[in-house]
Amino acid sequence: MGRNRAHIWFVGPAVLLMIVLLILPVFVAAALSFTDYSLGNSSFDWVGTKNYDALFSRSSYAKMFSASLTYVLLVVPISVALGLGSALLISSLRIGGELYKAVFFLPVMATLLAMAIVWEFALHPIVGIVNDVLSAGCDIGWLHALLSGSWLGRDPLSSWYGDGCADSFPLWLGDKDYALGTIAFIGIWQGFGFNMVLYLAGLTSVPRELYQAAQMDGADSAWERFKLVTWPMLGPTNVFVITISSIRSFQVFDTVEALTRGGPSKSTYVMIYAMFEKGVKQNLLGIGSAITIIFLGFVLILTLIQVYFVNRKVHYG
Amino acid sequence: MAGITLRQVTKKYGTLSVLNGIDLDIADGEFLTLVGPSGCGKSTTLRIIAGLEAQSTGDVKIDDRLVNDVRPSQRDLAMVFQSYALYPHLTVQQNLMTPLRMRDLNFWERLPLLGFLVPGRRAKMAQIEEDARKVAEALKIVPLLGRKPGQLSGGQRQRVALGRAMVRNPAAFLMDEPLSNLDASLRVHMRAELSELHRDLGATFVYVTHDQAEALTMSDRMAVMMDGDLLQLGPPDEVYEDPQDIRVAEFIGSPKMNILPGESDANGTITCLGLTLDEGLATPQPGKVSVGLRPEHLHVQPRETAECFSGRLTYKENLGSDLFLHLEMAGVENKAVIRAKPHEVDFAAVGETVWFKAESGRMRVFGTDGKRVALTAPDTKRKVG
Ligand SMILES: Nc1ncnc2c1ncn2[C@@H]1O[C@H](COP(=O)(O)OP(=O)(O)OP(=O)(O)O)[C@@H](O)[C@H]1O
Ligand SMILES: [Mg+2]
Repeated sequence: MGRNRAHIWFVGPAVLLMIVLLILPVFVAAALSFTDYSLGNSSFDWVGTKNYDALFSRSSYAKMFSASLTYVLLVVPISVALGLGSALLISSLRIGGELYKAVFFLPVMATLLAMAIVWEFALHPIVGIVNDVLSAGCDIGWLHALLSGSWLGRDPLSSWYGDGCADSFPLWLGDKDYALGTIAFIGIWQGFGFNMVLYLAGLTSVPRELYQAAQMDGADSAWERFKLVTWPMLGPTNVFVITISSIRSFQVFDTVEALTRGGPSKSTYVMIYAMFEKGVKQNLLGIGSAITIIFLGFVLILTLIQVYFVNRKVHYG
Repeated sequence: MAGITLRQVTKKYGTLSVLNGIDLDIADGEFLTLVGPSGCGKSTTLRIIAGLEAQSTGDVKIDDRLVNDVRPSQRDLAMVFQSYALYPHLTVQQNLMTPLRMRDLNFWERLPLLGFLVPGRRAKMAQIEEDARKVAEALKIVPLLGRKPGQLSGGQRQRVALGRAMVRNPAAFLMDEPLSNLDASLRVHMRAELSELHRDLGATFVYVTHDQAEALTMSDRMAVMMDGDLLQLGPPDEVYEDPQDIRVAEFIGSPKMNILPGESDANGTITCLGLTLDEGLATPQPGKVSVGLRPEHLHVQPRETAECFSGRLTYKENLGSDLFLHLEMAGVENKAVIRAKPHEVDFAAVGETVWFKAESGRMRVFGTDGKRVALTAPDTKRKVG
């Protein structure tokens, strides 16, 4: 028997580490989500599903779900489409592709927190360059006419731009109608280079002979070849890129923390930020853990969808 | 049905010249093989004919129509690729139908969902399915129609690729090493099948291979290419019997032709390894020559006689029906190879000296530039080598 125990010594440490470092924390979080524990307290009470009831009934958490989902639904499609588009354009270049790759990838490599500060300045309502440029355009007659639609005979004040010129341009991060969109814009700006790199890798694995076969078969335009070859062959990449983008978008935190802190009026109160605010800042570990568990649920669903597609739909073996 | 003509076609990649002026006339209905070692420009030539690659200079004509600026799909050619290049996400049936859908359906009819609303699409689709089915029947792949390429064996994929080329009834078929991914026995089988297909269809076949056995067995004419040059064009037996260039002589034939060093004097008499040969140069010119002799034209002698070559036997390669003797000869760089019947050379043992003679009238002599030089008829006064 003694000899047969050897395997425990080989497998045991790895399994133990996995349990302690990866699986246990999830269970601890799950357990905590049913308590009112605060860090430093010597005891806690089981409160049943009270934390979850709060999550699904209070309006601030409704705003949290809506902010997170809106952010994901804005950032994922646009950053995926931009990533694919730029990858297609770059891969068709004969020269200069490396430069574009590096430039588009820069925001991915840059520290988002540092970049957030730059954006904060740029978007400042009074001294920011964005509104400066916009209002500079108001004084150029033809540009104003073009952007406000008055050259079509429309009332300039009825258009977004004309109204901005007459009144004032948005406060961006300070306006609850614009803040989430602005954060999403920064997320897209930051993330599409990553998708582009993934798509570029996917494109290199499409056999050249397939394109030639498509050309022989009569797919004369680039669009036809894209439909017949590129898009289907990118299937696995698509699933991966969309899943990764979705998870990364659900995880958005640093721009929110640096620029809006969940405001104004909770319009950018995304899940991870809520988790941070409740669990860390306010030391309400119970509700923080409940958010964590819901968040993990979202990620799990996304992962399962990915697994389904990868296994069933896009691998042609 | 179409003939294909290449006129002074060159191809350069940057400064690298890959084709140096190819002239080629492919007759209507011919099975022409482009053969040559790896990297000699066969695929490039084929892709230029197909229009997948633009030539640097020169003209490509199909049936006397200049097609230099014509798109691949408008040239009415079909191509079979080495990797088959089947669309992996489509079933065999959809693969077969793709060229027809591209040709027969217009943009609106090809749109997903919306296309179904276009009047007349159903009739067209029915015709396309019918055509694809006919081809599938001819190639005996009907049971595979619902499968995807990933679920097929190499030979089955090969058939589907052929089918996809056939559905459009193209004027000519271009094939780039279509058999090289198959195992040996299937390859031999498919050779016969391709020849049969060529007979049935009567279409022009341009077939690229680096396997000389395929070239010799299947083609009406073969074009031997090397380093971007077309060295010789002719029927297989002519290329085999009468190589015009020493590189062709060495490339075609297995085992390859033995090349022995020789020297000719001012009268045109050739001496080779100390023996005087029975044929001389038609236009005498003193200098070095290369004497080419095929393994089957060398005959082992039971004992040393006058005017015999000799060499030390290093290896007996037994193929059952034939036996190849590998000989080390003084003054010859490569080992000489003799083809013999096993019973004829029982006495020869590895390590011993073997004597052999060359069959009269079989030697091919090449000058220092590698080109064939003409010989006089065998002369009885000259000694038999
Ligand atoms: N896109 C390219 N850029 C530069 N050189 C190329 C390119 N395509 C082919 N070549 C070169 O052209 C030469 C001929 O290539 P080709 O593919 O025609 O060879 P091949 O005769 O078909 O060889 P194989 O039997 O190995 O397929 C090779 O030396 C190859 O390196
Ligand atoms: Mg090739």
